Amino acid sequence: CTDLEVFPQDRADPNAVFTEEENYEAFLARIYAGLALTGQQGPSGQPDLSSLDEGFSSYLRQYWQLQELPTESAVIQWGDAGLPELIFQTWTPNNQFIRAMYYRVFFQVSLANEFLRETTTDRLQQRGIREDFWPTVEQYRAEARFLRALSYWHGIDMFGDIIFYTEESSLGGDVPAEGTRGEIFEFLVRELDAIEDQLPDMGAAEYGRVDKGALYMLQAKLFQNAEVYTGQERHADAVAALENIVGSDAYSLEENYADLFKADNHTSDELIFAIPFDGETMQTYGGLTYLTHAPIGGAMDPADYGIDGGWSGLRATRALVNLFPDVTGETDERAIFFTEGQTLEINNISEFSQGYTVPKYTNVTSEGIPGSDPRFADTDFPLFRLGDAYLMYAESAVRSGSGNLDRAVELVNELRERAYNSDAGNITADDLTLEFLLDERGRELYWEAHRRTDRIRFDAFTVNGVWPWKGGVPEGRTTEAYLNVFPIPASEILSNPNLSQNTGY
Amino acid sequence: QTTVSGVVTDQETGEALIGASVLAVGTSSGTITDFDGAYTLEVPEGVSQLQFSYTGYPNTTEDINGRSEINVSLTAGELLQEVVVVGYGAVRKEDLTGAVSTIEEGSFNRGAIVSPQNLISGKIAGVNISPSSGNPGEAPTVRIRGGTSINAGNDPLYVVDGVPLEGGGVAGDRNPLNFLNPDDIASYNVLKDASAAAIYGSRGANGVILITTKKGQSGTPRISYRAEGTVSNVINRQQNLSAEDFRNVVTFAAPQRLETLGDANTNWFDELTRTAYGTQQNLSISGGGETNTYRVSAGYQQLEGVIRGAETERLSVNLNFTQKLFSDKLTIGASIKGANTNNVFDPGVINAALDFDPTQPVYDPTNTAFAGFFEYGVSLAPRNPISATEQITNTGRTYRGLGNLDLEYAFDDLLPGLTYKAVLGFDVNSGRTNRFVPTTYATIPTDGFSGEFNVANGLRSSKLFDTYFTYARDIGNQSFSLQAGYSYQDFNLEAPSFQGQNLTTDAFGTASPGVAEDIFAFNEVLENRLISFFGRLNYNFDERYLITASLRRDGSTRFGPDNRWGLFPSAAFAWRILQEDFASSLDNTFSDLKLRVGYGVTGNQEIVDYGFLSVYRFSNQQAQYQFGDRYVSTVRPDAYDSGLKWEETSSWNVGLDFGFFNNRLSGTLEFYQKTTDDLLFTVNVPAGTNLSDRVLTNIGALENRGVELSLNGVVYDRERFGLNLSGNITYYGTEITRLDGSGSADVQVGGIAGGVGNTVQLLRVGETPYSFYLYEQKYGEDGRPLRDGVDWNDDGETNLLDLYEDVNGDGVVNDQDLRINEAPAPDVLLGFTADARYGNFNLAFTLRGNLGNYVYNNTASNAGNLSRITLGPTYVTNVNASAVYTRFNSPQYFSDHYLENGSFLRLDNVSLSYDFGRLAGDALNLQVYAAAQNLFILTEYSGTDPESGGIDNSPFPRARTFTLGARVGL
Repeated sequence: CTDLEVFPQDRADPNAVFTEEENYEAFLARIYAGLALTGQQGPSGQPDLSSLDEGFSSYLRQYWQLQELPTESAVIQWGDAGLPELIFQTWTPNNQFIRAMYYRVFFQVSLANEFLRETTTDRLQQRGIREDFWPTVEQYRAEARFLRALSYWHGIDMFGDIIFYTEESSLGGDVPAEGTRGEIFEFLVRELDAIEDQLPDMGAAEYGRVDKGALYMLQAKLFQNAEVYTGQERHADAVAALENIVGSDAYSLEENYADLFKADNHTSDELIFAIPFDGETMQTYGGLTYLTHAPIGGAMDPADYGIDGGWSGLRATRALVNLFPDVTGETDERAIFFTEGQTLEINNISEFSQGYTVPKYTNVTSEGIPGSDPRFADTDFPLFRLGDAYLMYAESAVRSGSGNLDRAVELVNELRERAYNSDAGNITADDLTLEFLLDERGRELYWEAHRRTDRIRFDAFTVNGVWPWKGGVPEGRTTEAYLNVFPIPASEILSNPNLSQNTGY
Repeated sequence: QTTVSGVVTDQETGEALIGASVLAVGTSSGTITDFDGAYTLEVPEGVSQLQFSYTGYPNTTEDINGRSEINVSLTAGELLQEVVVVGYGAVRKEDLTGAVSTIEEGSFNRGAIVSPQNLISGKIAGVNISPSSGNPGEAPTVRIRGGTSINAGNDPLYVVDGVPLEGGGVAGDRNPLNFLNPDDIASYNVLKDASAAAIYGSRGANGVILITTKKGQSGTPRISYRAEGTVSNVINRQQNLSAEDFRNVVTFAAPQRLETLGDANTNWFDELTRTAYGTQQNLSISGGGETNTYRVSAGYQQLEGVIRGAETERLSVNLNFTQKLFSDKLTIGASIKGANTNNVFDPGVINAALDFDPTQPVYDPTNTAFAGFFEYGVSLAPRNPISATEQITNTGRTYRGLGNLDLEYAFDDLLPGLTYKAVLGFDVNSGRTNRFVPTTYATIPTDGFSGEFNVANGLRSSKLFDTYFTYARDIGNQSFSLQAGYSYQDFNLEAPSFQGQNLTTDAFGTASPGVAEDIFAFNEVLENRLISFFGRLNYNFDERYLITASLRRDGSTRFGPDNRWGLFPSAAFAWRILQEDFASSLDNTFSDLKLRVGYGVTGNQEIVDYGFLSVYRFSNQQAQYQFGDRYVSTVRPDAYDSGLKWEETSSWNVGLDFGFFNNRLSGTLEFYQKTTDDLLFTVNVPAGTNLSDRVLTNIGALENRGVELSLNGVVYDRERFGLNLSGNITYYGTEITRLDGSGSADVQVGGIAGGVGNTVQLLRVGETPYSFYLYEQKYGEDGRPLRDGVDWNDDGETNLLDLYEDVNGDGVVNDQDLRINEAPAPDVLLGFTADARYGNFNLAFTLRGNLGNYVYNNTASNAGNLSRITLGPTYVTNVNASAVYTRFNSPQYFSDHYLENGSFLRLDNVSLSYDFGRLAGDALNLQVYAAAQNLFILTEYSGTDPESGGIDNSPFPRARTFTLGARVGL
């Protein structure tokens, strides 16, 4: 006997997978799940990536950390290798968190490419998929392309020039070549135009999936930051994309600001695209489990936040707290801080009692009912929401002068009226300066993973802007401009000869 | 026809040999000696010689010369006549061309030994057998010549009575090899070099250990019974602070937390450990007739661990039977070994015992929610370790059966010298663990109710079919034997398991999954197959020149169609110098002198199944994604490398066997060099070329080099007194020579306790694998490491620059300043055995040592800092005593202060026995013995045990064990 054909029984052959229609949805769901979960076994097990602890390797957890920790928003107590360096802006190409973010981005791109390769009409025909189902697959393909574009945006935003490859490359084939930030930007603009018609109308998609609303938001994000990416500003294009959203009745502001971040936030009409989580069916140690657990500690009672126990990690610096007129939230209800037993100043970041904590995300519903499992949050992450769109509109209108400035003021005031529960905080057109907008984005969108990108666009991330612990000193100091992009991970530089390291690293 | 009678004795001891066979040469008539070694044989007409044979003794032929009484004394242990098992056969020791070491029963370590590997630890040059923990029955780490791989296995291949075993274990076992009762093992043959191991092809790269079990001997039944009892205690104390010291340290370092201290004085480590007991009993019966032999045995062993809650128990049976048929042309051998092992696993709370506040009591009767144990009831707080040992149950049960049937047929009529052998074997290993955590254990205190259970099953099975022909012939002063065969082995694993969380009642333990609110179910199904063709030639010219060549072609399902088949050749040459005419003058001095040179290629295929195949994995119920109101199960393609192939190790070995003064002093000197190519390595792949960040792929090369010297001396040998000394020393090293595809990429490895993702070791080209990678600590004038939180260099900032050398001089200390340091693998292995007899007393001991093995003291680096006291918001945590010396405030994980030289010398085994000889009118033989294990260790290492695999994170402390036993023979 010389038979060496042995087939796995507890996992599936690709050809078998793609002969069943429901698996097309399962694969698409997997690309979406790449933003939320870390492997095929919740909360951990069969991980997607293996060069980092699985819970740490969560897309959203790393995206959040890289966007917030290097800014005034947050410090974290833990001493895990590379974590304090994120706060201090002293990261190196060996940073494990930066590495995880990098591989997460391209895990998404590779998954989407694989899906696009396996779902061409030729392939569908080969596998005997009935033609009635082809249009469904066509929409799935558009969603996959959107998700690929979303991650590519994160890629160029964080890493600058990165590798570029599409479904036309093959697995195990040539090592991908480098694309410049500008080239990839142009690709993304074309790509989003190309899929616009194939996505459902605004607000028409099932929850957890993208439609034209998400597409316009991503377009606006790209155009708004175009100057950073390409040297050419595109604020007028950003306004045009945002007009679709702010003029639509598909979305409306949530009445209570805090309800946007609670266990039942999936019911909110303010969400344009959220990354869902569920304590029973979408378990992870990243994502919202992290955001609901990590800021809890000290005198806080975990039960108040619907969780089993705090992780005593995240707090805010004085600079975030000081954006608000007062810390209690009585004036501006967006100030969600816990101060009992905590000091405002942070002399030692590894002492949890230093710095106010931020229980902005909780695993309790707007009705005060705890989520389904105290270990894993039900709360969803508002990746794109209407409030952000309002501020983006205002900013691009101000910057380009092309939009409707009165409308911009109106939109900002809608947010402020919600925050103040009155018009006491309203502004006038004169108040609508860039400086105000950066602060207002800080008040409205803190801890929502925008801050690093925002500060870079406002040129206030490295050479300008000082907040506690920036540069590794308690009082803070300015840093060098090269830190505006993260380094390409050392492991990637060594394994892909086509890539060059970002300047300064 | 005449009658000849006589007595067969051992030449050395004068003792009668019972069951020796006596054969009238040229006929089939023969007999077996009785209890007194006496025989009587009717010798047919025309027979002029008698042949005497006895296992372990060379055959002796005597001319009858008309005598009616022929007394013979046989000489045992004559090195020149020993037969050595080499895999698919055996050769005379003098014909050996490869590096093969043999240890027989008489030389085994004695004492309370559960794991068969420990019988030979310290006995063989180049073989490092180090206990991986003090758990009773735990599998030791076995490395032959240092291991050849990084990510594929480094364990040797075990072959038991001709059946190669699979490496893995099943749920519930501590050591898959524990199904073998050490009392049933007759010998170990270790194939160290590639010329010997290449006959096992793709599984030979890490050496092969051939285990032969005891067979019966012809004669009236012989019964042996052995019983022993053991008592063990802990020798290594953990180094956390006592209650009194802790109060003082808190007063000094965190006075604001004094109010959280309790009034008790609890030594948690003492509470956790105990004096442990064990028993062992073995019974064997062996015997046989003229054409058959049998041996049956049963054994029972039970041994507690010194940590409360740990225990192992084994019930084993073993049957060996051989039958000769058709005028001895056909030999049938059947062997069945079976064992049931029961393990009780301790809940692994040594670190909790180190952490727990020593001023708190064990019990708090008011705390009924947690069964009366003191608990903080806070999520991340340490749990009361005694509550864990008392409340958590974790048991494992395994049943393993290994059976084989050997058929050997000699085609004497057809073609003299041609034999055929077939081996049919099976190996079934079934195990289960049941772990139960009641709701009264402090798991999830805020969740109202908690509790959990895990039930894991595993069924491994393999089938073996080996078949080969051997043709041996002498032509003049030349002789050769040729062998050709085929082998088929198929391995299966099925491992379903389930776990439940949040129990509504503790009443059912693990028996009723329905009481769990959350249920998780898993399964793993694996299969792999190995198909091989092999051949071997042994050639002997004039007893002077010996040549062995072998070739094996292996096909494995673990690799893709293009790389499935591998070819593993070997060749070896030996020169018996003493047989040369010119060497005749050396005869007075040398009794043996043989030079051996061998080269061979072996492989390693110990990687996961299906790594070359594109497969899709569905998500479980907890990893779905929300589409509208539905949660959708997802499917993910796994990363894979379709080009995966064997690791190939090619190695050279040069050996010199020598004996002086009639082998009173003998020994072996070996040099070797091994190069492993196509090293299987899990590396970061360029993003976009695969579906994950890391993939197992063939990417590098590794080189091992070493020198081994074994010496064996019969120092004194008289009737009343004898002394044998033997020792071995090995000097070796391993180096990564290539990591291609990834440039000169370093791979950071060696995760530690304390901070996620913190690693302290590195794989780098040009360095020993797993070299430590740390900052260079600066020291003050008092010799202590500079403590953190002080601006030592007066640059106005308190940072890492104050504590560590800025090696690259760029003005900051960051990961670019980490430096390669020593490695965990020892440079030198030492083993020393003494065996003395005086009258009926016998005293033996084994010393074992390692030099140059470095240990990162993770227990100290993690807990040896003062900020640890205030780690928790509402409770305090005990600190490692090193904090009192270093005064570190926060953990300094990457300081080379924690890297220590772990060189040691350990007295592994001592035994003293007294032989009463024949008692009760010769009816029985009685021997009593006492043994001690792990009596002392000499080391400068400050932690619990220098043998902790490089990173010491509070291992299960090794016990000191005393054994008292007796053996009765009938």
